Amino acid sequence: MMEDKIAIIAELSRGGFTRATHEVISFARELGSACAHSEIIIIPGKNIRGLAEEIARTSGIDVIGIEAETLDLYSAEPFKSAILDVLKDINPAYVCLPHSAMGFDLAPGIAVDLGAACITAVEEIHEDKKRICFSKSMWGGKIRAELVSMTQRAVLTVLPGAWTASVEEAFIAGSVRMVKANLALGASEITLMEAPGERESELPGADVIVSAGRGIGKEENLEMIRKLAGIFSRGAVGASRSVCDLGWLGHKHQIGFTGKTVSPGLYIACGISGAIQHISGMKDSQMVIAINIDPHAPIFNIADYCIVEDLTEFIPALLELVEISR
Amino acid sequence: MNRFDEFALEEAVRIGEEIPGTEIEAISVGPGRVVSTLRKALERGAAAGTHILVEEERYMSPFETASLIASYAGTGHYDLIIAGVMAEDDMHCQVGQMIAAILEIRCATSVIHRGTIREETSVYIEREIEEGQRLCMEVALPAVITVQSGINRPRYPSLSNVLRAKNQEIRTIDANDLWDDDGRDQLISMRRPEASAKGVFLEGGSNEKARALIRILHERALI
Repeated sequence: MMEDKIAIIAELSRGGFTRATHEVISFARELGSACAHSEIIIIPGKNIRGLAEEIARTSGIDVIGIEAETLDLYSAEPFKSAILDVLKDINPAYVCLPHSAMGFDLAPGIAVDLGAACITAVEEIHEDKKRICFSKSMWGGKIRAELVSMTQRAVLTVLPGAWTASVEEAFIAGSVRMVKANLALGASEITLMEAPGERESELPGADVIVSAGRGIGKEENLEMIRKLAGIFSRGAVGASRSVCDLGWLGHKHQIGFTGKTVSPGLYIACGISGAIQHISGMKDSQMVIAINIDPHAPIFNIADYCIVEDLTEFIPALLELVEISR
Repeated sequence: MNRFDEFALEEAVRIGEEIPGTEIEAISVGPGRVVSTLRKALERGAAAGTHILVEEERYMSPFETASLIASYAGTGHYDLIIAGVMAEDDMHCQVGQMIAAILEIRCATSVIHRGTIREETSVYIEREIEEGQRLCMEVALPAVITVQSGINRPRYPSLSNVLRAKNQEIRTIDANDLWDDDGRDQLISMRRPEASAKGVFLEGGSNEKARALIRILHERALI
């Protein structure tokens, strides 16, 4: 008999479901309607009955909650083992996780153990010749690739922001089943901490963010980025990951998947190519202006105003004009 | 060399400096051209290079790559396998985790800080997760860790290493001798993503664009 389930692995943070989890549910519904499979949500965690009932009610999807003391903060060993126990029972055709630090940590190992394909950071699905094709970004967003699973089962991670969380409530609540994870005690100790410098960030309160990418060329050019941010009353300097990795700016300036998520009134991307990891952190900005010398830079796909120029000449000229017009 | 792997290699070299006697071996899977990448790894401080040769130039699924590396690594006794968090080109984030799963050893991804290695039994690491947070833990060895960019500052090759790397032999192992299963996923197409229709490209010379931009900022009362 063919498996007919799509399992969704829910992720918890600060006592609730992550937004990415709700997006995975939307993804799984789309996948479910494409292949006529039904969804089931699996929640690993500690004291999660209330959350399990809540998501079963709002989504209308059946839920299995896996409870254990060691499933409080995420770590690979207990989570993988607890999830695999339940998955072997359900025997799903697809296992879907968010492409988060938990999701991509877990997915490949689960796939190996289930003998399944693993396709990560999925952004789109469509049917082609009765196969389901999964699209994802490659080469920093310059290429969109399509992959298909060659096995009966597949483990998928869903790129945050690619699907929208549903706000509708289901008519009929899903069922809830709670199971106790059968885990060996004495698991290693995990602690949660804030990244250094995290609290000093000016980004959350800024109306305008001027961000620097590797395309600014050299550290000295940060000065013009700072000046540009300075022409706005509540301007702040942001950066892509590579600029922070180079040590040109501290990680508290970093915007994107692994940094801050911002939504200012205006976002000016300077020399930022627009890798999906960066875009996921700023795409809700009300207006985006991109300055890049490469006309094919993916950042132009999401910008409202696109300026193909060498920013080391363009920004000083712009600053001069601003000065004159004041 | 994949940028993330530069951080992985640098982390290995640092461990080598902390714990004398550590042997660092760089391993790469691919066609003949990857030999030059392995030579770069030698220049940056790896003691040995191993090339798992896959003759044809084609898309390799992460599972194939991981199976080959795990199959090779299973014969050695590695305390720690370090990989980049992802490949810059295909951006899968899978190979390290799969190697660990095949070898049935511990794994931690997205490592942004590594602490002391305790008597070769465990390593302290901090994983970078969402919302500016980190998960901190001891990982029992042997293990696979995949490192985030920014975990360190990769150094430039030293002259002595460059000279050594020039003539050092790189071991080649035929992939067919390691493992001969099929991949579990297949790449069927690649294209440039469509541009969104909403963006306006400002026209004219540099000055005209700057003027147009200032006009837009004024209209929106941003300056």
